[in-house]
Amino acid sequence: MENELAVSVQGLQKNYGSIQALRGVDLRVERGQIYGLLGPNGAGKTTLIRSLIGSTKGSAGMISVLGMDPTREKRNLRKHIGYMPQTPALYDDLSARENIRFFGLAHKPHDLNHLVDEAIEFVGLSERARDPLHKLSGGMKQRVSLACALVHQPEMLFLDEPTSGIDPQLREAFWLHFKNLAASGVTILVSTHQMDEALDCDRLAVLQQGQVLADDSPRQLLWKGQARIKLTRGGTVEEFQTENYPEQLPAILQRYGLDPAIDRIEVEEDTLEDVILSLIHQRSAKPQKDS
Amino acid sequence: MAGSLNRILAMTGRVLNQLQRDRRQIALSLIFPLVIIYFIKILFDALANPFFDASRYVVPYGGFLVHFITFLVTAIVLVAERTQGTLDRMFVSGYSRLEIISGYLIAYSVLATLQSLLILLELSWLFSLVYSFGQFASIYLIMWLLATISLILGLLVSNFCRTVGQVLPFFPLILISMIVSGVLIPFEQLPGWVQVLSYLSPLFYANEVLQVLIVGGGLFEKWAMLASLPAYGLILLAAAMLTLRELD
Repeated sequence: MENELAVSVQGLQKNYGSIQALRGVDLRVERGQIYGLLGPNGAGKTTLIRSLIGSTKGSAGMISVLGMDPTREKRNLRKHIGYMPQTPALYDDLSARENIRFFGLAHKPHDLNHLVDEAIEFVGLSERARDPLHKLSGGMKQRVSLACALVHQPEMLFLDEPTSGIDPQLREAFWLHFKNLAASGVTILVSTHQMDEALDCDRLAVLQQGQVLADDSPRQLLWKGQARIKLTRGGTVEEFQTENYPEQLPAILQRYGLDPAIDRIEVEEDTLEDVILSLIHQRSAKPQKDS
Repeated sequence: MAGSLNRILAMTGRVLNQLQRDRRQIALSLIFPLVIIYFIKILFDALANPFFDASRYVVPYGGFLVHFITFLVTAIVLVAERTQGTLDRMFVSGYSRLEIISGYLIAYSVLATLQSLLILLELSWLFSLVYSFGQFASIYLIMWLLATISLILGLLVSNFCRTVGQVLPFFPLILISMIVSGVLIPFEQLPGWVQVLSYLSPLFYANEVLQVLIVGGGLFEKWAMLASLPAYGLILLAAAMLTLRELD
């Protein structure tokens, strides 16, 4: 089982002085998954990602990424991972090709030109690859940043808000890239604010104030919300509100014996955004315990 | 080992690539000191005194210019990398502290090599300094060593600053280095406690050797001072590598 895990985190804490950025985070990411980190600004998403790639050392807890300790085996781990930071973090006076080549050279000096060509084509920048970066749009720079993260064909990608500040069309293109990568076996851990993107993940962790509020598939998270069911039967309307309606709905319908007179069923359910916001508000309303 | 060498070469190549496209930095490093020297010439001509031997001063002043400008250029380099996030990205990509510092040092040494040569050539021309080939080569070696040490000092200072603004308070250190070096005031005339500070200035060691070379002495006459220059540089280099932070 452990060999199927790309990431295992147990009790991770990270303090910046008196600020507790992470308060006992537990999570497991299976190989080949697209795993989403969802949460508001300041929830700890970036701190968690930086802990997993070895750029930040946790104050307590255990981390294993691809079977390696990110702090002690940093050098070896970084041969197998790619990282796309929140800001492009690129050299504006170099071209897209030069940027990708430079970061790729750190991993694979051989066959690099071919890998760079593949990465450029993957992100759809073949026509602008030789232009200096300062002449490219924000969205194009994001594409270059993604190419830098995957040029060396890593086993796992860490993407920190990769679609921040880009248009919906490009966002869709990015997520198509991510799904293609995951289909080829790459494990992806991605942080996002966008609820619709979260639905494309295999699994989600919802973070708030350095803690994991929920860790489940998007579908299971949605079923935690309320379903409001309206039955119209012969002009009479009956309304029900239930959780986990896929299990509850059959029980409700059995009272009617699948009556053919039932001519309409309307189901209204919480969106994922409603569920996440509800979880966050519930946590905020609870008194804080000292950790 | 081969991987590390490739990464150092990659760093060097990237920095050189950027340098050759950065006209402002080339102007600052190469043209600006030449302009300053020309104004020094005007000043010395205005203070013309038949008993004043300008040659004993202009070469060390040239050394100070090299010291100051190479420090200025490199002091902001790693800070800029840190603020734009590329330093972090380099670390996560697999570049080590040794490879990053070495790459910068080699790349900027190319600039320092050219800068030292141009300054020395202009000094020789403007002040009619006549040196033998061996003398010229020895003086050039000292200026080059001083430039390289100043590069490393700039990289070291970068490591302690989170923003470019935080680098500015370090600039007076170079002016103090000039004052305690013996270039402006002979070392023997400095108060005792200032003489202690002199040993912390790379310009002090360079000036001691330069004063011997200028009057026709041999490169190894003050061998202890000469040996102190590369030793000073190696100590600074180790400090720069050890203090380059990766972790938050």
